[in-house]
Amino acid sequence: MSARLDVRIRKELPGFTLDVQWSAGEGVAVLFGPSGAGKSLTLQCLAGLMRPDEGRVSVDGQVLFDSVSGVNLPPQRRRVGYVFQGFALFPHLTVAGNVAFGLRDRPRAERDARAAEVLARLGLEPLAQRYPGELSGGQRQRVALGRALAPDPALLLLDEPLSSLDLPLRRALRDELRAVLAQWGKAAVVVTHDITEAYRLGDHIVVYEEGRVIQSSPRAELLWQPASQAVARIMGLANVVRGTVLKATPDRIQLRWRGQTLEAVNSPHRSYLPAPDRALDFFIRPEYVRLIRKDHGPPDAHHMNVMRGHIVREADFGTTWTLYIRLDEPGEPAQGDFDLEVEVPHLVYEILEIERERRWEFSIHRGSIHVLPSA
Amino acid sequence: MSPEAASALWLSVKVATAATLLNALLGIPLAYVLARRRFWGRGLVDLLVTLPLILPPTVTGYYLIVLLGRRGLLGAPLFAATGWSIAFTWYAAVVAATVMALPLLVRTASAAIESVDRDLERAAYTLGRSEWRTALEVTLPLARNGLIAGLVLAFARALGEFGATLMLAGNIPGKTATVPLAIYTAVQTGETSEALALVGLLTLLSCAVLVLAGRLGPARLGGAA
Repeated sequence: MSARLDVRIRKELPGFTLDVQWSAGEGVAVLFGPSGAGKSLTLQCLAGLMRPDEGRVSVDGQVLFDSVSGVNLPPQRRRVGYVFQGFALFPHLTVAGNVAFGLRDRPRAERDARAAEVLARLGLEPLAQRYPGELSGGQRQRVALGRALAPDPALLLLDEPLSSLDLPLRRALRDELRAVLAQWGKAAVVVTHDITEAYRLGDHIVVYEEGRVIQSSPRAELLWQPASQAVARIMGLANVVRGTVLKATPDRIQLRWRGQTLEAVNSPHRSYLPAPDRALDFFIRPEYVRLIRKDHGPPDAHHMNVMRGHIVREADFGTTWTLYIRLDEPGEPAQGDFDLEVEVPHLVYEILEIERERRWEFSIHRGSIHVLPSA
Repeated sequence: MSPEAASALWLSVKVATAATLLNALLGIPLAYVLARRRFWGRGLVDLLVTLPLILPPTVTGYYLIVLLGRRGLLGAPLFAATGWSIAFTWYAAVVAATVMALPLLVRTASAAIESVDRDLERAAYTLGRSEWRTALEVTLPLARNGLIAGLVLAFARALGEFGATLMLAGNIPGKTATVPLAIYTAVQTGETSEALALVGLLTLLSCAVLVLAGRLGPARLGGAA
């Protein structure tokens, strides 16, 4: 099956070049990356609000832009719904007026029926006669979605749809947005710089950095197999460190790091076979490091990649503690004054009396050590 | 009030109203184009529109004579074809007032249009509206306060126009002598009570316009100008 959305765009601006290519199938594609990476610019090119210098954009086989054949549909004819950052609701129109705005070319009766249907599906009926200035952030989001969905667009574009909201509301609305997108079954592209949002909303994630795509893959694959150190860094992953390859097989990779021999699982889909003695980046998820209780006797066979060290610092993140651990190894620690970040829930912190006990043995399952293939 | 004063007042209101209408028709599209489009010669258009604001009104009036007088660049062919010239008619007073008031409207209105969030226009485009319909349905309604403020300023400026009117339309009692010109004549001829009455009337009228404008929309005369 051909992808529903094929994008290839090159656009030169003063001091910035956008040069991206990606495809996404059914469902929600998330453009993820830091601010200024070119994500919003891509949306504008998809909507026809900005003309790329060259490239091709097609949705479900329909070409919206093609610099070779000279196709460039104006935004009015692209059948694209756009939810703007800050929503851009028309302040001089009611909720009903906003939702019906894109239905102008339909007969009156049909227009009213469609607007009523959209208002009902989004639970906006009681607010129909209100003005945007009288609505809460969550209500505005729903109106913006309703306005974009009403003309039945082929593609929905959402530019940082949650960034203008307060944090507690953000979480609730993220899930609401996810439900609406799933319910309406629209192909959608969501721009965000928040990795949690990217995971919650996206079926497919495209990672942007400085106007380029550094990874484009299904959500699960991105989570467990970031394509490079750059992706891992942008995703805000902790414990991205560098070791040396000892031995690589299609199933396992053995590494030497800070005097330890570690064993990691190789990727099941695309195994990576670096030559021995090569430097290799990898990361260890801080929430997957196990502390070994001394009162339970010596570590058994369930533990692998066992290491020893002490806590140099710790930080309370409300529901979890992050422990900064330095291994019992001579030489420079891997990350400044420590080697590993370990995350433990508050309850575990109390049960294990970590406040008192500062020396620990830990283990890391080989499945929780993720190798980052170098380009 | 003397018949001369009454006719001057009526003429002033007529001229200022016509000039304001012309300002709305010419100035609002011009303000939109200057605020939203980038085109070659934009700076020059902006300069030409703004010039009457800083030039002495007599200089602007002189240019208008050069352009529209009986021997002017446009006036001469018109006179040759029809035997009619705009100079020294009340239309000339309207033209002078329009040109003098235009920069006030255009500057105020284009500032108001520029302050409308462009994402609102972009949203309208993705919802199928042409640029023209978007301007009518989104941009101009949202710039409404600034447009009203600009029109009020234009009306007030047209009402008080003196120098350019004198140059192009002359000071013909009952024909082109608007209130400011009639005041000048009254002072020159020593009719102090007549001058005082006209000064009072013009002041009252200007105050009434400002108060009315304040009622129509929360005026942002200072902010948008």
